[in-house]
This record gives sequence, C-alpha cells and structure tokens, in this order.
Amino acid sequence: MSIRHGLLALLSRGPRHGYQLRVEFEASTGATWPLNIGQVYTTLSRMERDGLVTPGESDDQGRVVYTITAAGLAELARWFGTPVVQSERPRDELVIKLAMAVAAREVDVAEVIRRQRTATMSALQQLTRVKRAAADGTDGVAQRLVLDSMIFQAEAEQRWLDHCEAVLKEER
Amino acid sequence: MTVVRLAEVARVHGEGATAVHALKGVSLEVDAGELVAVMGPSGSGKSTLLNLAGGLDRPTSGTVHIGEQDLAAVRDLAALRRRGVGYVFQDLNLITSLTAAENVMLPRELDGVRARLAREEAMAVLAEVDVDDLADRFPDELSGGQRQRVAIARALVGERRLLLADEPTGALDTRTGDEIMRLLRARCDAGAAVLLVTHEPRYAAWADRVVFLRDGMIADSASAPLASA
Repeated sequence: MSIRHGLLALLSRGPRHGYQLRVEFEASTGATWPLNIGQVYTTLSRMERDGLVTPGESDDQGRVVYTITAAGLAELARWFGTPVVQSERPRDELVIKLAMAVAAREVDVAEVIRRQRTATMSALQQLTRVKRAAADGTDGVAQRLVLDSMIFQAEAEQRWLDHCEAVLKEER
Repeated sequence: MTVVRLAEVARVHGEGATAVHALKGVSLEVDAGELVAVMGPSGSGKSTLLNLAGGLDRPTSGTVHIGEQDLAAVRDLAALRRRGVGYVFQDLNLITSLTAAENVMLPRELDGVRARLAREEAMAVLAEVDVDDLADRFPDELSGGQRQRVAIARALVGERRLLLADEPTGALDTRTGDEIMRLLRARCDAGAAVLLVTHEPRYAAWADRVVFLRDGMIADSASAPLASA
C-alpha cells in the first residue's frame, strides 16, 4: 500500500489539511506507521498533480485544506475493491536463525526456542496492554484492529515455536 | 499478599513401573491482584496444577497453602473450596434445570445462606459481569459468551479471593474470548488472584506472568514489561 491510499481514505471523511491528516493517519494505524509531515505534503502535491485531490484556500493559520476529487474517490474504490496479494514475505530472521541453529553443530536449539518464546510472550503481553488501553470511537476501533493483527502474528510465532519444540523433541 | 502458594509440589498417579509423574516439584505463588497464566501442551501437568491449587486433589509431596491455611491440615476441603475458591471451566457445567441466578445462588445456599440473601448476592455479582438482565433465563437460552459470564459470576459469588480458570475461553470466538479475559482482568485489578490455564498465547498474554509448563516442570516464565508511567 502507499501513503496516498491512506490519505485518500481519510479525505473521504471530508476536507482536511496536512497536519490533521498526519494525526489521523497515526491514530487509525495505532502509530505502527509514523509519518513525517514532509511525506504528507509531498504525497498531497503528487495527488494534486494526478487530479486526485484539490487544494482550497489557506485558513487563517496559512494551512491549505485539501478535498478529494471524483477521480480520487474512484481510485479509492478501486483500491478497496482489489484484494491484497499474498506476496513473497521478506525473509524472516527468526525462521532463518532456527533453521541455522538446527543445521549448525553444538547449538542448544531448545534454549534458542525457550529464549525466543519468552521474548515473544513479553511482546504479546505488551501489545495486549496497549490494546486494553485503546480509546473508544472510530479511531480506537481502527487502532485495536491494527493491534489485533500484530497480536495474531505474535501468536502465530508462539505456536510455531511450540511446534518446533515438539518436532525437535521427537527427532532427538 | 499471597493467596495461593505451591511449594515443591509433586503429584504421581499410580505406582511402580506404570506410575505417571504429572508434576515434578513445582513452586508457584499467586498474589492478590495478580493474574498468572499457565501454558503447556496436553500432558504437561496444567490441569493437575490447577486441581492441586484449588484443593480438588492432594499432592504426593510438597505443600499447598491457600491464604494461611496448609491444605494438608484442612479436613473439610469442600467447605474451604466453596468459600474461598471459584472455578471456571471450559465446559461451563452450569446446571441446565436452574436459571442463571439459581446457578449463582447454589454455592451460597449450600453454605447455609438463606435464599433471599443468596439471591441478592447473586444479582449483585451478575450485575458486575453485566448479565443481570439475563438472571431468569436458563443456560440453554444464553449464548456461549453469556453462559461463561454466568459461570464467572458463580465463581465470584461470596468473598472468594482465588479464581481458577481452566481454558475459560475454550469454545468462544476470539472477540468473545477477549471479553471474558477483560472481565477476569477486571476482577484481578479489583483484588482477586486468578490462575488461568490456557493453550492459547493470545489469552495468556493478558496475564502479569506466564508460566510455561513442560513435562511436569516449569520450563520458563515471562513477565509483562513494567507499565510506563
């Protein structure tokens, strides 16, 4: 995904200026994708060039308010209508590390798994704590769903580690 | 304040060559206001640990204390369990011929509390877990999540300080499971000690401390990072 689709989605709620877009983007994604204000303005000016947004007049503080165009709405609908391809995942360091621990000599693989399991669980506990504290309202729901995604991923890692442990125990 | 304390607890089922060592010297404490989760594969000793902590079973060696009481010295374990310990199980075991309120009243009535007072207590605790409007329904008329709330209410009624939960989110979808965990967590934050057995990492992560059980022993444990102020 690109920043532009995220900004278009926010602009579909109504006209907004750059700083507002940045704040709302971070609130919705649970601050998993921090944007700097420069990225926001660069993206807005490219979208203006492509006819997806139009700038209005600046307000009394000199901030330009942007409005989504019909072409912008169409692009947004196209984006939401297209499923994300399960593309090749980037190499996962943990997977490689465990495979190498098995391949290498004199590595206590069980210990590598144990350490990782403790660390992954601590991360999971931290995510759960943040989720419990997430606010109500639309932004809160978006934020919780982003956290849920990270929780499901951490959980999958934890399950995989348990699986590795059980398989290796049998192999021994 | 420590609510339950297991010291070097071992439990052997059977004898001789066929003996099964379910627990091999486990030490664990749960304080008031603390939620501890026990994770482990089937056969790792999770349920044995929970049964020993709640006085449903006695250890082969080692000691179990609930509050100040050494369970080995308690004659009437059933009475101690009724008054001090609440249980929530995966298979719910609400009595189907009793309403939600009657299910919650039951342990109090067994303790000799009069029906009217028992009902008042039941209604108060059902309100705490947000199902007081369902008090007069039978278990069959409730959803899985609602039934689990009633089971938790029953586990909480009276002044019980220790809650033992065995896969309480077992048959529930993840959203309902989260609600049950939010509830258990709230009871903990209100001062109860909760010992939770689960095989699902996402629910274990609600705990202050996660203990990993392997072959009857504690392999390692993870603590939640300290909350940033």
